[in-house]
Amino acid sequence: MFTTPRLILIALGAAINCSIGTIVYLVKLPIYLDSIGTILIALLLAPDRMAAFVCAWAAGWVGLAVSGLINPFLPWFAITDVAIALVAALLIVPAAATFRARPARGGPFAFQVVLCGAVTGIVSAIVSAPVVVYLFGGVTGSGSAVVVALFLKDGLHLMSAAIMSGLTADPLDKVLQVLLAALLYRATPGEFITLLRAPEPGAAA
Amino acid sequence: MTRRELISGPNFSGRSAALMALLHDEFAAECFYIGPYSEAALSGLTSTIADEIDLYRARPATKSAAMPASLGRPVFPAFDVAAFSRREPQTLSGGEQVLLALHAFSLSSYPALAIDTALEQLDPQNRDAALDYFDRRKGLAANVAMIDNRLPPPLVGWTSRERSADTHAFDCDPRRLVADLAPRQAPAITIRGLTFGYRHGNTIFRDVDLALAGGTAYRLAGPNGAGKTTLLKLLVGVLAPNAGELTLGDKPYRPWRHGNRAIALATQNPDHQWSGATLADDLARRRAAFARAVDAECFAEPRLEKLAAALGAHSLDVHLYELPLAARKRLSWLWPLAGALPWAVLDEPSLGQDLATREQLAAAIGQLTALGYGVLFVTHDDDFAARIPHRVLAIGDGRVKAL
Amino acid sequence: MTPNGGFAVGLILIALSVVEPGPRGAAVLVALALAFAIIEVRAASLLAARRAALVVLPLALFMGLVWVGIVGEAPYQIAADAVGTRAAALVYVAKLSGRLFFIVTVIQLVFLRFADLTPLQLIRALALPVAVKRMLAITLSLIETLRHAIDRAHIALIASGTLTRAPSLRNALHSWRLIQAVWLSAVTIMLGRMRDKWPVENTMARLDAALAHVPARVFAGDDRIWLPITLGAAAVTLLADLVGKP
Repeated sequence: MFTTPRLILIALGAAINCSIGTIVYLVKLPIYLDSIGTILIALLLAPDRMAAFVCAWAAGWVGLAVSGLINPFLPWFAITDVAIALVAALLIVPAAATFRARPARGGPFAFQVVLCGAVTGIVSAIVSAPVVVYLFGGVTGSGSAVVVALFLKDGLHLMSAAIMSGLTADPLDKVLQVLLAALLYRATPGEFITLLRAPEPGAAA
Repeated sequence: MTRRELISGPNFSGRSAALMALLHDEFAAECFYIGPYSEAALSGLTSTIADEIDLYRARPATKSAAMPASLGRPVFPAFDVAAFSRREPQTLSGGEQVLLALHAFSLSSYPALAIDTALEQLDPQNRDAALDYFDRRKGLAANVAMIDNRLPPPLVGWTSRERSADTHAFDCDPRRLVADLAPRQAPAITIRGLTFGYRHGNTIFRDVDLALAGGTAYRLAGPNGAGKTTLLKLLVGVLAPNAGELTLGDKPYRPWRHGNRAIALATQNPDHQWSGATLADDLARRRAAFARAVDAECFAEPRLEKLAAALGAHSLDVHLYELPLAARKRLSWLWPLAGALPWAVLDEPSLGQDLATREQLAAAIGQLTALGYGVLFVTHDDDFAARIPHRVLAIGDGRVKAL
Repeated sequence: MTPNGGFAVGLILIALSVVEPGPRGAAVLVALALAFAIIEVRAASLLAARRAALVVLPLALFMGLVWVGIVGEAPYQIAADAVGTRAAALVYVAKLSGRLFFIVTVIQLVFLRFADLTPLQLIRALALPVAVKRMLAITLSLIETLRHAIDRAHIALIASGTLTRAPSLRNALHSWRLIQAVWLSAVTIMLGRMRDKWPVENTMARLDAALAHVPARVFAGDDRIWLPITLGAAAVTLLADLVGKP
């Protein structure tokens, strides 16, 4: 399962999650963009869903551990990462062929991006809400805290506000993330993908 | 008896594959590998030079075993490693990374060394030192296999394996790019009082004054690490000088603030210059960015397809990162030699290219200069430089001297 | 002090801060962290505090704006359906920010304590399985590779006229190109290494050998002073809360 190229891929995915996620976090937009690496890993390991799930999960957690040095809130959302990895393996992996088709077919591509992004976003919002409410009382440092606050002002209870805020921001965020990951996947050299499928390189030698 | 194997032949004759087969079938044990370009010279697993050396340092297999016999191996002296020990390996220049790799090898216990064109990045002095180090009589008890485009067989003390071209799919002739270009008067670039040093490093340029005229080819010469690539980065706007001014023609030129306006750059490692995944993408970006400076008709697709074909790419939709390395290097010459911008700057353009291609490239650069374009090139290959009428700019000790 | 000791002390301090000690417990933690900073880290402690402030201050301001400014109630008041006040919200945000500042400072202090070690030396000294150490080393190296890829992509896009070095609207519009260029650059670098250099050299085995050195004892030297003190402080912190509660 964990050949050297896959270990590298996990670390690379984690690094992407960290870097883009941290920039967005610091700018305080109500989006996250912190799972592009996770989704990209799942696409690159298509069609092996188990490998996609495990490696995407690993990248998510390694990324959290490193991002946690800058964003102390993030490590607590570990379960969300598992959920995203699961959705990626089940729903996004089958879409890989559509994303990679050369030349691109606009309709199916867009449809898959929106579908995968929306589902991932809804799942992520629902799984994250309890963490936001019970661990942080609704107070997180991400831009989406503003949305929670606005819902609270409207008279919603905290859990409802957290869920509503999630359902407002998360699907859009995840659609964007799936789009970016799909575009990066399209551009990836085929040799790299082959290396990820192979047994340990040099081991056969 | 240790082996010295030289694998030679034109580009695309399968030399790299033959090298790998040699290591696998005949050398059999693990082998230290120095590939083309800096990223393939070092392990990539360390973030300081001290760690890189430590990673490869000979260690006993178990606590109780004796130290490996390799400790009798002569050490290859690289630059002042102790002074650089906390620096990141990736901040070294290409040639310096190759030297560091050789140094690490000399401290390791690897029984064999393979070099794929890496020595071409070394300046003449370091290159001679490396070849001298491999001389059997100097006591290096290790097998060495090498590919080098500037070492035509026979080489004394080395066994030659000659290969012939496998495929003609990437055949090229760079002279065709400049064949139909119209003459052009490139504006002069003047540099006054240029001072630059990296934040945590030495001063590379101290109060440099330089006048570069169009219609002339300049060769930037200097030892590895002197600052040649740094000067190119300053001209293109990747780096901003600490002090000094540039003018282009008679107007002030600040590419670090307003962007590159006049220089078509071919980087040492071709992968440092792509701005798209396909060639079409990359060229479209460049046309869009220089829309005002570039004649749109001149860069319409039919002409671009012809130019790409002249360099071995039979479609603009080719995926750049999926091409073999030597083919990518050739495509990196397209933008500078296409006559898009008045100044063509080429950083070690002949790396990894066989003799026939180098001669053609030199002719193309010479023709470009004769048409009035400004040309600046860096190379350690004196033979290649001799084929291009040029003036020498010597870099070293913070100064740039026109010779 | 060994890295194992340093990390252990840091982890205990962070764990204690997370269980929300009362004022007495918090005072004990702060005192211990200060002692660690002054004795072990010395001058670099100011750097640790400054970095923590850089991370936490904008965060605190943002949270204050949202919870004191917009919402005007503390979360526990909302959850209890009680009437909320801005003062309570301010106190809540302040406590949360204080805790975050403490956590980030402790992390920085521990890393700065061992700043004279190279990354490989630091990872080697940790008492962890080799597989974990290998993953740590690879992840760190990938961050370096990514930085290098960003540098390469930057050069390419500036030279091709797409970006400028100085911030500009052009840069914002083309940020996607930069992301794509960085990804392709990183993949190409890694491909070369994984296909050619690493298999031929068996570089992973070199890495394992370099990381496999196990120190004779997990904790040594000053660890034997700091760890008991930290554990003692932990006990005091936890008990102080229990004693204080009615």
